[in-house]
Amino acid sequence: MPNQFTEPGQGMPASYAIDHDAGASRIFSLDVIRGIALLGILLISIWEFGGFSTNKQTGIRILTKNSDHILLVSMMFLFEGKMRALFALVFGAGIILYMNKPNPLTLPGTQELYIRRQMWLMAFGILNAIVLLWPGDILFQYGVMGILLFPFFRMSKKGLLIAAIICTLIYCGKSFWNYTDDKSAYKKFKAVTVVEEKFKKDSAVRHNKDSISGMTKVELKKSDSLAKKRDTLTKEQQKDKGAWEGMVKGIKYDSTKAGDTTEMKAMHSGYGKMWDHLLQRSQWKEAAWLYRTGVWDIGSMMLLGMALFGFGFFSGGFSKTKYILFAVIGIVAGLSLAWFRLHYGNAKLIDYEKYIAGHALPPNQFFPIERLLMVTGYASLVMLLLRLQILQWLWRALAAVGRMAFTNYLMQTIICTLFFYGYGFGYFGRLSLVQLYFFVIEIWLFQTVFSVMWLRYYNYGPVEWLWRWLTYGKRFPNNKKTG
Amino acid sequence: METYTETNNPHPVEQADRIKTVDMIRGFALLGILLMNIPGFGINWSVYYDVLIKGAHNTKDYYTMAAIFSFFDGTMRGLFSMLFGAGMILFTQNKHEVPGGPTVTEYYYRRLLWLVLFGMFNAFILLWFGDILYYYGLCGMLLFVFRKTNPKWLLIIGFLCIGIGMLKSQLDWNETREKRHAYLEAVKLEKEKQKLTDEQMAARSEWQEIEKRSKPDTSISNRNLRKMRSGYSTLFPYLTERNADEEIWGMYNGAWDMLCMMFIGMALFGWGFFSNRLSTSTYTMWLLIGYGIGIPIGWLTFKEGLMIQFSDFNNYVDHFRVTHQLLYDIRRGLLSVGHASLLILIYRSRIVPWLMKALANVGQMAFTNYLVQSIICTLFFYGHGLGYYHKLMYHQLYYVVFAVWILQLIYSSIWLRYFRFGPFEWLWRSLTYWKKQPMKR
Repeated sequence: MPNQFTEPGQGMPASYAIDHDAGASRIFSLDVIRGIALLGILLISIWEFGGFSTNKQTGIRILTKNSDHILLVSMMFLFEGKMRALFALVFGAGIILYMNKPNPLTLPGTQELYIRRQMWLMAFGILNAIVLLWPGDILFQYGVMGILLFPFFRMSKKGLLIAAIICTLIYCGKSFWNYTDDKSAYKKFKAVTVVEEKFKKDSAVRHNKDSISGMTKVELKKSDSLAKKRDTLTKEQQKDKGAWEGMVKGIKYDSTKAGDTTEMKAMHSGYGKMWDHLLQRSQWKEAAWLYRTGVWDIGSMMLLGMALFGFGFFSGGFSKTKYILFAVIGIVAGLSLAWFRLHYGNAKLIDYEKYIAGHALPPNQFFPIERLLMVTGYASLVMLLLRLQILQWLWRALAAVGRMAFTNYLMQTIICTLFFYGYGFGYFGRLSLVQLYFFVIEIWLFQTVFSVMWLRYYNYGPVEWLWRWLTYGKRFPNNKKTG
Repeated sequence: METYTETNNPHPVEQADRIKTVDMIRGFALLGILLMNIPGFGINWSVYYDVLIKGAHNTKDYYTMAAIFSFFDGTMRGLFSMLFGAGMILFTQNKHEVPGGPTVTEYYYRRLLWLVLFGMFNAFILLWFGDILYYYGLCGMLLFVFRKTNPKWLLIIGFLCIGIGMLKSQLDWNETREKRHAYLEAVKLEKEKQKLTDEQMAARSEWQEIEKRSKPDTSISNRNLRKMRSGYSTLFPYLTERNADEEIWGMYNGAWDMLCMMFIGMALFGWGFFSNRLSTSTYTMWLLIGYGIGIPIGWLTFKEGLMIQFSDFNNYVDHFRVTHQLLYDIRRGLLSVGHASLLILIYRSRIVPWLMKALANVGQMAFTNYLVQSIICTLFFYGHGLGYYHKLMYHQLYYVVFAVWILQLIYSSIWLRYFRFGPFEWLWRSLTYWKKQPMKR
């Protein structure tokens, strides 16, 4: 989202100008892709903003075959996880661009500014998550990852590509590891059910025996209750049983929608209550998700962006055929993996017990590779279309959105929270899937027009301008006429 | 924005550049850290804690605990954090850059990224779940931009971090008290035979859950005992889960703990406190202030805070609007400054120069020594080693500590006679500069 990455005249103007003499189109393409990613992110995050819960998604996925089904599944098929990845890709490219200033004497200063930028980004992320109440925020994680990946910027393009692939494979490995955990939970559960079966059988045998042996009714009752006391599961067994059952319950479609009602109630309350309700979710995303998944999820894409930038991918350094090839292979291979993910995902949603007993791999096993392929494909497609010089007005508009990505990202939070949350209009959970996507299109239109208009009069988006001020410790003129 | 014109090669800090007192204090802190870590390595702490508090108060165990908690609790980590902050400034000051080559900034971040990985190695492979290297690596990444900040401001930022920590702990405590209050209300209504609302029922059971959690759970501690005495293959998955949780939440919620002391350490270093630059009367004054205020708070926290809190939690919640732990960072900050002042005064008085030299050697190899503590203690206590886990009494653990201290004092001095860096320091440096570093003297 960092729009400064792409703007001439920042930092050391003289050196920067040299760097960018030849590269106007290169910058432009990054802006366009960033703009697409920013708008695209809303296609998926609208589910969480608008209260289109996982339970509702599950219901539509496995129970219906109507237009909602087609809409939802195609979103999952084409965009889920991919827009976020595209965003990270451009962010990674931006890291190199930012550091890629030819004058070595200014490099230490640039690096210091880079670290400061990332730290402010983390602060903005915390604001977005904890004050504006958007648990889906990614700015914090991007800030952290930007700092962690800083030592890699000098790596060769090949090295970066290999690093990206290694991160992707580790990410795949983690999915498999999690699945193994599920499997062992299932095994433990199975063992407990065997014990329970045995209790039942033994008890029936003993009951029969006792009644044949001529016990009185009172004695029989006593013997039954004694046996019942003896035949209880240990604490550990109960825990094992509960662990698996809880997991299955979390995945299964809940037709009573009990979970949804509590969520609805909480999301329709005032700011204070909602703050309480969402705090834990935000903290989980910022701490646990980042640690367990985000490092690989975001890191792999940023590294790929850094590598592709090195190869000249974004500056149109590839031939037309190469872009076509990349686009076709990436999208086709990616979509086939996506098909597998969704197909087996459905099987898992319908009956996880059956799935886990019969499958060696989880449905999302190759999701990281799917993303890698599709993101490369999408980016190539955009590069190709830019090369063909068609639809120029559209690309210019998208580039404006991309240049103000930081502003636009926070604006999405503000618009959506005020529209959906209890302290705003409170439409959370009240719109159908189609209505949600109408809303998305409205926001797209608004943000595109706003960005184009704003950049006609100002150099930077408002939040970008503030970010620069905080990073450099001094104000930059923003007005185009006076500046 | 300054320009860097020096053309010297970037290089690790050489012997001559090292400031002796800094190493000495670091050595002291490093050895001291084991005082606090040893229960984690050696006993089923949650059970033992309970026994100690509720049992007789004239045992060796009790006196040991009283001394440790009043004098040392948190202070060694505090001192270590302070010196880590100081070390950051030292590292960035002593480097010159080659135009076009990697900058100090890059070396600094590479170094910390390796530290994070070493921390994970210590936690996940050596199985020391109390590792701090991971956190130091990440916190260090936030310090860099403050390296040229005025000491006065650093001190203010340090206190700000303490303030945030205090605020968080007080808010948590307020919430606990509110829950207790809601519970008492519900119980009172119940006694009056009134029907409880769903919310009141929930409040009642929530508190009962908290109360249960405040007491040691034998099933959990027995499981822990069994796992810690079993082999590596059982222990590894058991501790992996725990390590991951600690690293996630320890970092996210507990970064203030380290950051506050790091900032204060940077400020003190800027004023020359650790590098032996202040007058004897100043150090004497800080010794008196540090110990004079720190020890009484420590004693109060132990005697009143811990003892009542753990023996009668409900009573404690009802009676105290603030916990004794609220003063945690202030106490340990003062005590840490007191410890450092005392050391420098001893150094100046030249009573035990050989010991001070030995401490400096330990400090110069602090990274190696920290990891060696993990290696020795896990091999001594855990199931895949000698398996002394939970077999020693609390005070007996400190015999092990003394033995490790003597061992580390001796081998550090011998090692540094022949080599320039400790072995892990050498590895760390070689990885950071991505080039094999000279090792022999």
